[in-house]
Amino acid sequence: MKEIIISILLLTGSLFILIAAIGLLRFRDVLSRMHATTKATSFGLLLIVTGVALYFLTVAVFVKAVLVVLFIYLTAPLAAHSISKTTHKSSKRD
Amino acid sequence: MEPGIQQILMIISFSTLLAAMVLALVRLIRGPQSADMIVALDLIASIVMGYILIYAILADKMVYFDIAIVISLISFMGTVAISIYLKHNR
Repeated sequence: MKEIIISILLLTGSLFILIAAIGLLRFRDVLSRMHATTKATSFGLLLIVTGVALYFLTVAVFVKAVLVVLFIYLTAPLAAHSISKTTHKSSKRD
Repeated sequence: MEPGIQQILMIISFSTLLAAMVLALVRLIRGPQSADMIVALDLIASIVMGYILIYAILADKMVYFDIAIVISLISFMGTVAISIYLKHNR
């Protein structure tokens, strides 16, 4: 049962990252490409981290997993905001 | 029987991540602006994180979890540094 849950979590996480990559390749604009990558990637990594933490099932791994997820969800919007600010400023100047 | 199924599913998710890596590399090479390349590099860092996390299960070692923390730190630093550099450069 545990293996099935872990496998489903890993597969769903990788599928979300693949969807993000398809969006990165297919969308037209920089801002829409960023819209595709930032959110789907964060969610996919959340699923993968949860799967790995369920596989090991120790306290240390759970603490590290919470740390990783918190860090990803704190920094992904900041990075996206920085990139979009740069893009907006440079496109306005052209 | 159970580990076989789990390993097959793990290989499927490895190949899914590999396909995502190829698509991100195509965007990294073809990207018209430098912002596209930054976004592609950010995605590639996340894909590598996923790879290492799944490999931690495959190798059955907890140590690989620390690499994910380090990669997330370095990816954030790199993205912000490059975008601030571009902002001041133009």
